[in-house]
Amino acid sequence: MKSLIAYIKSFLLSSQFRPRRLFQVALLIVSTLVFISSGQAALAQGPTLHPSFPMLDENGNNVLETGNPVSTMKTCGGCHDTEYIAGHSFHADVGQSAMTEPGLVTGGHPWDTSPGFFGKWNPITYRYLTPGSDELLDLSRPDWVREFGFRHVGGGPASATEDGIPLTKVPPYKADPDANILNPKTGQPEPWDWSKSGVVEMNCFLCHIPNPNNPARIKALASGDFKWANTATLLGTGIVTTTNGQLTWNPQAFTEDGKLAKEYVTMQDPTNSNCGQCHGAVHATNDAPLVLQGCDWNTATTGEVFAPQRLYKTGMNLKDKDQLSRAWDIHAERVVDCVDCHASLNNPVYFQGTKDNQLNHLIFDARRIDIEEYLYRPSHQFAKGQSVQGTVAPEFQASMRRCEGCHDPDAVHDWLPYKDAHFANVSCETCHIPKMYAPAFQQIDRTVVRLDDDIQKVCRGAEGDPRHIETLITGFTPILLPHQRIEGGTPLSPFNLVGAWYWVYGYPERPVRMIDLKAAYLDGDHYRRDVLEVFDGNGDGTLDETELRLDTPEKEALIKKNLEARGLSNVHIKAEVQPYSISHNVTNGEWAIKECTVCHSKESRVAAPMQVAAYVPGGVAPEFFGDEAIPHAGAFVQTEDGGLSYQPDVAGEGMYVFGYSHVKWIDWLGILAFLGTLGGVMVHGGMRVYSAYKTPPHKVKTKTVYMYTVYERLWHWLQAAAIFILVFTGLIIHKPDMFGLFSFPYVVQVHNVIGFLLLANAFLAVFYHLVSGEIKQFIPQPRGFFNQAVVQATFYLRGIFKGEEHPFAKTPQKKLNPLQQITYFGLLNVLLPLQVITGVIIWGMQTWPHLAERLGGLPVLAPIHSLVAWLFASFIVMHMYLTTTGHTPLASIKAMIDGWDEVEIHNGNGRHPAEQNANVETEEAK
Amino acid sequence: MIFPHLFFEATVLASDKRDERGAMNNSKYVWLLGLVVTLAIIITPIILFVPDKAPKRDDPWAHVPPAKVHTDHTPLMQGPYETGSDVTKACLDCHPTAVQEVMQTTHWTWESEPVYDPDHGKYVTLGKKNAINNFCISIESNWPACTACHTGYGWTDESFDFSNEENVDCLVCHDNSGTYKKSKGGYPADDVDLVAVAQSVASPTRENCGGCHFKGGGGNAVKHGDLDESLYFPTARIDVHMGGYDFQCITCHQTQNHKVKGHAPSVSVGILNTENQVHCIDCHSEQPHDDPRLNEHTDTVACQTCHIPTMAKKEATKIHWDWSTAGQDLPEDPHQYLKIKGTFAYEKNLPPEYYWYNGTVSRYLKGDLIDPSRPTPMNAPNGDINDPNAKIWPFKVHRGKQIYDTVYGYFLVPKTFGEGGYWTEFDWDKAARLGSEASGLKYSGHYDFAPTEFYWPTTHMVSPKEDALQCVDCHSENGRLDWIALGYEGDPVKVGGRELTPAISKKTR
Repeated sequence: MKSLIAYIKSFLLSSQFRPRRLFQVALLIVSTLVFISSGQAALAQGPTLHPSFPMLDENGNNVLETGNPVSTMKTCGGCHDTEYIAGHSFHADVGQSAMTEPGLVTGGHPWDTSPGFFGKWNPITYRYLTPGSDELLDLSRPDWVREFGFRHVGGGPASATEDGIPLTKVPPYKADPDANILNPKTGQPEPWDWSKSGVVEMNCFLCHIPNPNNPARIKALASGDFKWANTATLLGTGIVTTTNGQLTWNPQAFTEDGKLAKEYVTMQDPTNSNCGQCHGAVHATNDAPLVLQGCDWNTATTGEVFAPQRLYKTGMNLKDKDQLSRAWDIHAERVVDCVDCHASLNNPVYFQGTKDNQLNHLIFDARRIDIEEYLYRPSHQFAKGQSVQGTVAPEFQASMRRCEGCHDPDAVHDWLPYKDAHFANVSCETCHIPKMYAPAFQQIDRTVVRLDDDIQKVCRGAEGDPRHIETLITGFTPILLPHQRIEGGTPLSPFNLVGAWYWVYGYPERPVRMIDLKAAYLDGDHYRRDVLEVFDGNGDGTLDETELRLDTPEKEALIKKNLEARGLSNVHIKAEVQPYSISHNVTNGEWAIKECTVCHSKESRVAAPMQVAAYVPGGVAPEFFGDEAIPHAGAFVQTEDGGLSYQPDVAGEGMYVFGYSHVKWIDWLGILAFLGTLGGVMVHGGMRVYSAYKTPPHKVKTKTVYMYTVYERLWHWLQAAAIFILVFTGLIIHKPDMFGLFSFPYVVQVHNVIGFLLLANAFLAVFYHLVSGEIKQFIPQPRGFFNQAVVQATFYLRGIFKGEEHPFAKTPQKKLNPLQQITYFGLLNVLLPLQVITGVIIWGMQTWPHLAERLGGLPVLAPIHSLVAWLFASFIVMHMYLTTTGHTPLASIKAMIDGWDEVEIHNGNGRHPAEQNANVETEEAK
Repeated sequence: MIFPHLFFEATVLASDKRDERGAMNNSKYVWLLGLVVTLAIIITPIILFVPDKAPKRDDPWAHVPPAKVHTDHTPLMQGPYETGSDVTKACLDCHPTAVQEVMQTTHWTWESEPVYDPDHGKYVTLGKKNAINNFCISIESNWPACTACHTGYGWTDESFDFSNEENVDCLVCHDNSGTYKKSKGGYPADDVDLVAVAQSVASPTRENCGGCHFKGGGGNAVKHGDLDESLYFPTARIDVHMGGYDFQCITCHQTQNHKVKGHAPSVSVGILNTENQVHCIDCHSEQPHDDPRLNEHTDTVACQTCHIPTMAKKEATKIHWDWSTAGQDLPEDPHQYLKIKGTFAYEKNLPPEYYWYNGTVSRYLKGDLIDPSRPTPMNAPNGDINDPNAKIWPFKVHRGKQIYDTVYGYFLVPKTFGEGGYWTEFDWDKAARLGSEASGLKYSGHYDFAPTEFYWPTTHMVSPKEDALQCVDCHSENGRLDWIALGYEGDPVKVGGRELTPAISKKTR
């Protein structure tokens, strides 16, 4: 023990004292303390391994002595490289380092200045961070901290300019949006003194202590008391208290040497609750019922809720909740925390190489940074997915493991036919996030102003106002859109679409400032008289939800006029629809979509529209926002109630979904061919019966010959059964709605198996016919073929009714007449191969997806396959009918069963008289 | 298969040589053969290649006995009956062995066969007859009140004749009229119409069992936490077996020759009598979950632990009883304070406590010395993390404070009911003296109150699977299980589960 203390002393006193060293000492102390004092208990349930530390102010002095606000950079910087942390964190940076002139942000609005929260305009948050080049100030940097700092961890734009100049060095200047603020009363910018307000350093406590006081922090930010915001976060821990409205440090919380007393050191890995302070609804406990108040920005862009609780335990009036025994999110339920997926990118525990940066032969690279190195410099760039809206730090898009990074879908989807094809074209989320159970935005209407400062909005997933606890929450079904993935592929993925309408002005366009918009509507705390005159339909002096919307040209014109009166030019309404990716609220197989007909039917989910507006302000049609990642082809269509919905275009997006997709003209042509054949043979058959009454058939001498070998018969019946099953199962796959009795996946698999049986049978038959020479039966002889065909046709059209002899004798050597020959020639050389080849390629979507893609994919192959199927069906009808045209109606069928056929005896050894006089007959026919 | 044509050529040649008529006759049934062969060729690959649905792992219904239709006894039981014993005699006419069977069971004897108790190193017979608990403490000296639930007539003092067949009460278990009631000493209540009751007899229903077992400890829901009157008409959420599938008690507690399966660790000692116990796995598979991670739990965690997330779901149960405050003239509330009984605490929908349990308990026996400074467990569950037969079980723990002899250092049996008892005189000294005469425990004249604990393994009120505990309920920072107290180094998800040596785990099987 003594030697250990001496060792530590030598470290501390050494002239090469530096943070890194200190850190090693800290580690040593911690591990020793753990070892000697608390044993197992501390390891398992002790609150933290974190050593104690003094709280320092911005000058590095102990706050107990100075009474100043804490500086996280200095305090935590005692052991951790806080500068590195703050410099490697898109949570702190929120896009500032990627700031540009307006109009240069890819995928952004023309007035956006960054891909992140600082500089990316959004109709929900609305206020526009004004660049220095703009004439009219809307939102300045200090105002941004006040307004939106509640969702910012500090650091980044709240502590330094994009050029890295500390904000305390930026002099107050009323024309500089970095150092001014809009006075809402005068509408004029006023200088802002950063040296007085202080800056917001990156707030370590917000994410690293169990119960940070976020409301106190937000209050300090909103009041412009920036430098105390981080200290306010500690209110309630006992470290700071409020005396006379001023935050003061509690000496009881510190040891004699000025460090935090052990019980106050609660530093920890961020929990779900920490993340939930800014990112949507997180509900960590399983006991208290989850209740969401209304649909607010926090959660409502998608309605995602990260909670282990089972849905039925919610305190909300959730529809059918008794039946909903699934958890809000399976990962939360199975103790997978936010940071388990969104881990620090240099955390050696989670680090994994990608294909790009790893050698092909290396499965696991054992060389990773030491834990000590990591704790000193933990990157605060967290693994992120690739949601459409999460555009900040594009270089880290898709840095997170996707589902397949942890799960092996192959192992548990054996029940799913074509699983690889599904995996390639349908994201895991599509089936595993079948439904959202919280309300979400449907429409944001920023063209009007409410008296209560709330957003005028319409929510989906609730029958009525979701703010009321008794409102029935129904949840909603996400829309499925193709999403271009960075790693390749464009699988269907679930989205919420939010329509937004807002005013813009000027050249180039800018969103109309809130202050101008308010002035156009309001006079103090009530609506202007001219507004009431035009808007207030029932004359009650206030505007209700249906009155407060720009649904007449008069209303729109008035607001436009009022805006123009404030000196704005080019005033008009713009509209957009933003897709919001949904990737939480995952459920397991029990609740995932397993019913094939959810997509493979007429009412396919793939083609389900989603409403984006309950009404259309100013009648302005929206644009789809986020074109790059979502190659959409759908259109906005008017709904019956005057709203607008987005209708995906499955074919336009290059998809062919069995059971849903079909090419109309092919189906009509097929039905026509089938019904035409059916009608033809019925008329023909009827006439034969009729003529048989009128002219009884004269007796013909017949003989019984062995017509078909056993193998030929087996081949025929196998092929007949296979084709019949294939046509029938194919029809079910094509139109599953018409055959609800049959299980879709079962039918698909039977279709495949029988398809291969048919192929095998065809191969064996080819082999047999080649080897036995019987192939010649099917090859029409060119010489005289045309004439012979005409003779046969004439027989079918005329002779057959008169009871004439068959023009060509049926013999074991020549079983087929010329018409049959040409039919089978086409059938076996064109239709069958075409059907088998397209069928095999479609089947091979699973194994060789590229082959199908090269041929145009399912949109080309599937219609061909169905057209040929129709022709096959028509052929079967014709073929079955013609079997009755033998010597007696059943003679040919019997022959195909037992091999013995009763055939007419013709003169001259099988050469028929008509055959000898073929030329004469032909002339007669003319 | 590669050269089918050779075979067929041969057939063709052969048939060519045959007489035409003969060939035709032979082939009369060829269509049938052809049909069979064709179908076989079609169906075989379908069976081979189209995957089956996964077989069900568990079919509990196979183990549920069908409900019996009972003979209508209306014409058989005409009466008149003066006493309960008259009815018993009438029963014996047709069921001559029934009463003898009942007399072999603990429902009659209220004590066990002699069982070796390793804690005391001797054979003991234990039962309601002579056990001490921390509710009403003991039946000794208090018979008439307690024996209202005895399946007999007239057990009012120690002189009760356990060998008299006519003392057996058939009706308490077989009444199906719902009107039968027992009073002090087990006699039928005065207003019972014995003829109507006798005519109604049939298999025991929930009402028959519940009449006593739901009221243990002196009232509805007091004692067990998982047995109370909410089980008469439960929802599936309260009890999935009774509410969801309309089970009776005897559906699980299957009965042979009047011997009802099941036994409670409140009145048991020593070696676990597994044969006479009801287990979940009597009907359910030992690995019933689809998720292998859940099945990994079944060696370590009792089914009840996850599937009974809370007890006393509808009716609050007593969790605390302090006798020491009795006798004062305070405002009375049967759920908070009674002058005759002291102070109580009740709780509803409460999560159980979790301990290792191998099916045996260390039973406190009359006369065992105690340490009054700490709670004395009356029936501490045996088992720990290293015991291969032990699993983590849910318990209702009833904590109390009751009278003990400060000189001899053991719990006393006070007379509470009847003449001179505490409930009439409010004199502990007198109650202890009278009690010691009946129990044979010496009383020094000095008494005080010491804390006790009583453990009830929770096994009824099984919730539907949707309500079972989830991962986070245990494997999270504020989870239900105190891993360290259970003997783990931490959450086993992080530090690993208990590892039994192969030899030990073999023993488990």
